[in-house]
Amino acid sequence: MRVHVGFIVFCLALTVAGCTDSSEEIGFAGLAQQVGEVDESGFLQPQPGDTLVFPDDWGPHPQHRIEWWYLTANLQTRDGTPLGLQWTQFRQALQPRDVESDPPDADAWPLEAAWMAHAAVSFDGEHRFQEKLARGDVGHAGATAQPFSVWLDDWRLQPMPGSDDWRLQVNGDGWGYDLRLSNTGDVVAHGNEGFSAKSASGEGSMYFSLVDLQIEGTVTLGDRTLEVSGKGWFDREWSSQFLKAGQQGWDWFALHLEDGHKLMVFRLREDDGAFLSGSWINANGEVQSLGGDDLNLKPASWYESKRGRVPVEWRLTIPEQEVDLIIAAPPGEYWNTGLYPYWESPVSVTGSHDGVGYMELTGYSD
Amino acid sequence: MPGPILAVERLSKGFKSGGQLVPVLRSLSLGVRPGESLAVVGRSGSGKSTLLNLLCGLQTPDDGIITVAGESFHRSGNTSFEARWAELRRRSIGVVFQEANLMPALSLMDNVRLRAHLAGHLSGNERGWLERLGVGAEADRYPDQVSGGQAQRAALAMVFAMSPALILADEPTGSLDRHTADAVADCLFAMQRETACALVLATHDTELASRCDHMLDLSGAG
Amino acid sequence: MMLVRAFVSHYRRHPFQLAALALMIVLATMLWAGVTVLTDQARSSLFQSEAAVAARVHVVHSDGQPVDVDDFADLRMAGVCVAPWLEVQRPPPEGRVVGIDPLAMNCFGESAPGGGAGTLDGTPFLDISEAAHLSREGHESRLYLLAADKNLALPQGYVSREFSLGPPTGELADSFLLNLDALSLLVLLITGLLVRSVHRLGIAQRGGSFDLLYRFGVPRRRVRQLLALELVALAGVCVLPGLWLGAQLAGVLGSGFGQALDSLFDVTLYAGSADSLPWQAAGVMVLLVLAVCLVDWVVPQHWQGVAGSRRGRLVAALILSSGLVGVALAPNLAWVFAGTALVFAGAGWLTPGLLALLAQRLSDHASLDENDLLTRWRRRELAVMFRHLALPVVALQYAMATVLAVQALVTTFESTFEDWLAQRLEAEFYVEVPQGADAGLAADRLRKLEGIGAWHQVSRGEARISVEASGSEGDTVAVDLFALNPIGDLVVGWALMASVNQPWQALEQGGVMINEQLARRRQLEVEDTLEITLAETVTSAKVVGIYSDYGRPAGEILMSGATLPRNFSARFESFSINPGALTMAEISEHLAETWNTHDLTVRDNASIRALASQVFGQTFLLTRAISLLTLVLAAVALLIMGWVFFTTRAWYFRLLGIWGLPAIVVRGQLRRLSVTLTLAITLAALPLGIWLTWALVSRINPLAFGWSLPMDLYPLFWLELGLVALVTGLVIALLMRRQLVHRASEKQVER
Repeated sequence: MRVHVGFIVFCLALTVAGCTDSSEEIGFAGLAQQVGEVDESGFLQPQPGDTLVFPDDWGPHPQHRIEWWYLTANLQTRDGTPLGLQWTQFRQALQPRDVESDPPDADAWPLEAAWMAHAAVSFDGEHRFQEKLARGDVGHAGATAQPFSVWLDDWRLQPMPGSDDWRLQVNGDGWGYDLRLSNTGDVVAHGNEGFSAKSASGEGSMYFSLVDLQIEGTVTLGDRTLEVSGKGWFDREWSSQFLKAGQQGWDWFALHLEDGHKLMVFRLREDDGAFLSGSWINANGEVQSLGGDDLNLKPASWYESKRGRVPVEWRLTIPEQEVDLIIAAPPGEYWNTGLYPYWESPVSVTGSHDGVGYMELTGYSD
Repeated sequence: MPGPILAVERLSKGFKSGGQLVPVLRSLSLGVRPGESLAVVGRSGSGKSTLLNLLCGLQTPDDGIITVAGESFHRSGNTSFEARWAELRRRSIGVVFQEANLMPALSLMDNVRLRAHLAGHLSGNERGWLERLGVGAEADRYPDQVSGGQAQRAALAMVFAMSPALILADEPTGSLDRHTADAVADCLFAMQRETACALVLATHDTELASRCDHMLDLSGAG
Repeated sequence: MMLVRAFVSHYRRHPFQLAALALMIVLATMLWAGVTVLTDQARSSLFQSEAAVAARVHVVHSDGQPVDVDDFADLRMAGVCVAPWLEVQRPPPEGRVVGIDPLAMNCFGESAPGGGAGTLDGTPFLDISEAAHLSREGHESRLYLLAADKNLALPQGYVSREFSLGPPTGELADSFLLNLDALSLLVLLITGLLVRSVHRLGIAQRGGSFDLLYRFGVPRRRVRQLLALELVALAGVCVLPGLWLGAQLAGVLGSGFGQALDSLFDVTLYAGSADSLPWQAAGVMVLLVLAVCLVDWVVPQHWQGVAGSRRGRLVAALILSSGLVGVALAPNLAWVFAGTALVFAGAGWLTPGLLALLAQRLSDHASLDENDLLTRWRRRELAVMFRHLALPVVALQYAMATVLAVQALVTTFESTFEDWLAQRLEAEFYVEVPQGADAGLAADRLRKLEGIGAWHQVSRGEARISVEASGSEGDTVAVDLFALNPIGDLVVGWALMASVNQPWQALEQGGVMINEQLARRRQLEVEDTLEITLAETVTSAKVVGIYSDYGRPAGEILMSGATLPRNFSARFESFSINPGALTMAEISEHLAETWNTHDLTVRDNASIRALASQVFGQTFLLTRAISLLTLVLAAVALLIMGWVFFTTRAWYFRLLGIWGLPAIVVRGQLRRLSVTLTLAITLAALPLGIWLTWALVSRINPLAFGWSLPMDLYPLFWLELGLVALVTGLVIALLMRRQLVHRASEKQVER
């Protein structure tokens, strides 16, 4: 589950800087239209019954307003020290485009879509983060389904030549990584065949994941180069509108448990409660969708961070599965301080099951 | 016998205090001829200073008529009174207060000169007046460089130098020791007789008052 | 507790004094806080603007082919941080617009033009998609790929070149900021004097009570502690509203200017300043209040008596002259500032005493007859006032001198900058010679064009010079070379600081001109002979002129392009062109044809000039506002002090009335007295102000930057200042008159 108000804020900034779009079109609180309806600006809204189409859905969805490609990884260095790592690339459309239409001329420096990439490495209590921006259709940022490739400047996810694996390269200021990603499982479709509801009234997004990624490669921090390996979690998600008015932020978890189960849970915080959803995936890749009645997710302890009070420890119970977990971030500050700051940290899992995973918290920054 | 230089008929004056009119002077009448002296006595607050202020036009009466040197003033309302009073003070009425009669920025000599000049009597003999009052040696000093007695003598010199028809003196020796006060009073009366001007002297010093030709006690009048 | 009550009872009896002191602290804090905020804004606005027009780097193909959007994408994907800059030339009145991509600029971080994406907002900047649209409509355009850093690791086939968005203003701005800082210090000094003057007034009146307390057995140390405590409390309480008012003031001024100047960079310049109070200003203010009010404890008692004595005046005169000499001879900036401080100290010390002395002398000379006796009295009164009001008098003098100097400085800056820009951007257009193109061919072509206006070819490169006369062998220095050909109408109007007769002819015949920086640094004068090494050719040339050059510290020589050796290779070549009867498009066409390219950079200098002027316009306004505010505060202080002082003299004005002087005459005397007071201060401020102007433009600037500004005086402004003084005097008289009327009523009985 990844919704980025930040991206929307960033696009608002674009309008200030002379972009053609008007801010009303991209406000995140205006989710008033009927599900499935094409809104006034022509963007398509996912609805129950929509299904995933491969390989097209690996590539961009120009009729939708927002989407992302997102990787989190719980890795270890050779000496066993844990290392967390994140890469995300967003596309925010300022105007919709038919799938059949040709993209605009690069010469025109079009501003139909803007791209943003985030990369972070959390290691040894330190969190490094960097953000990149670009306009679409000019060439230096984009995504294709076949061959599958996502790039912004010299950050790119692309096929490893002569293999089914992927290669992810990121060069930050004084740090970076170069990873090989091998997928050993099937695509996990969340919610209803890939339609993942985001509120009780039925709005939602299309959402699928790869949860069995084996990763190895190098992470460079300053003049140190670390060989790393471990597990990854890859998300694809697109929609045109996410947050309803009254939704303040979200808490998202993707966990690898030691017994082979995987778990994705998110909670959208609303004025009068929360909208909870998730997926319970067994070692064979069978998915059970979880609703608000199946789940119990509560902060267990809070941390006074530099940017605000953050719930860094959580209690998650799924009674039917006899799951009772404590999910905790390691000590440190894990703010991704881009245009819109949010908390993104690796987590460890204890309780009924042990494990590792990632946690994303938005809406807690002062 | 010459007519009075100063005549007062049915003079009344009161002050507003807490919304009520407190009478100070009630239907007072008096007359002073040239060469005569009148002592105004009474306890503090009996209206001595008020009377003197009325007699030189610094305050206006509630009722009654004041005639000075042939000019009559009654209850105000006429703005030309102000200018006429000013002219009278400038040329004919010498006023002496208990202290601070001199401009501190000017020497004693220049004070006398300025006053005489204003009265139109600048004669060049101003130093003579200072000498006659016993402060000739201090003529070029400034008021803050001489004693209180010397300052009052200079103030008298200043008044006589303008050759006034009427002198109004409000406790002129009030801030001086007995000895100095007597000396200053001696000067005052001697010069008054010599110049034959009229003198109205407000004081609560009965000894000083007794040296005047007439006495008006405001204690009962108020 | 009783002690404290006894201590503050004074203010219960004289609430006006407490109010005056509080008001002074509030106003002083307001001014200082306002100045701090405004100065910071001026500083950051200059930095922002400068960053926006500062020289940068752009990336080009090494084979000279124009770059396009694919090059941009390739470079970005190769990890090079470049951003597109699409200049579109439209016919007037729209002129040039620049398309930028704020998203791409994100990779520059802090070093982005204007300091970050979003800052380059508004004319002439627009989103690059709109600029591209204009370009597609047929307007001439050119794409640059800007980079932040000269030392880029570029893929093969690309090289970086210098790219200037406007004339370099760096040093001029630095100089301006230095002067702004000096001004802020003066403001602090003036406010300090004002606070002290009001405080002294209270202390003088409380002397009796303090003595009484001492006699009652309270140690003097305890009294001082209480006094200090009282000040801390008062300052603490008053500083807060002062801070708030200061921030408001800055906000009002800032936003007023922001609105008034519909300029390039007005978006963020003044925004947000009112949100945060300048707390450090509060600390400075409390310290200042304590320092100026309690300085007497540190200065020995007998010194204070000496201040007004003849010996004191002698010391002051010594201080003043050593300051004057110090500033004139100072080898570096620190000495100039120290000297300036001495001059102000000496002048401030001397002024009230001298004015009093003068008034006294004049009074003695008034003849003894007629109205002159009143004049004599008035002058004596004036002398007394100068002594008693010494501190506010000096504060007003300082404030006026500061305003004078700042006004002169700012006006000089403005005109100098305008002139300099006019010199540097002499033609309406200039055309860069593309890499590899032959400038000579183009010059031949232009020569043959009929109807073209004035033009010349500019070549820039490096040279080394040594001074023949100096005799020191091998002492050569690298300088910038600036060559023009032909020497024509575009330059002969330059104002030269020094020159031979007919300098431009001399230049054409092989002479050389040098910039002021070089002249000062190498102590060169007109007629000196230089040995110039150009492309391994050594020639001798006489200095035929010295020109001012405010942009940068580098030494520069100006030569005729015709005298350059054949093998000289220019680092940069361009043509400055007035189209005359032709249009620039026609001329461009000829040049493009000559060079067989369509990749011509034609710049419209008017818009560059406007950009650079705006940078200073705002700052000039701010500076004027600051100095005027100081003046207002000083005038208000004098008003308060004058009023308080007059109260103690009121009796004597009434005495004049008792002596029969008509009220109208008394008021006239009062008016003449107060107006003479303020006008005399203005007169006393004039020499100090003129001297300060001189120190700023002729001493501080050359020492800091290697070039001086012309010294101009603006007597009309003196008159304006006189008017302010007149008004202040009249207001004092008016206030006083109310007091006379009030007191002349029934209360007089008590006298």
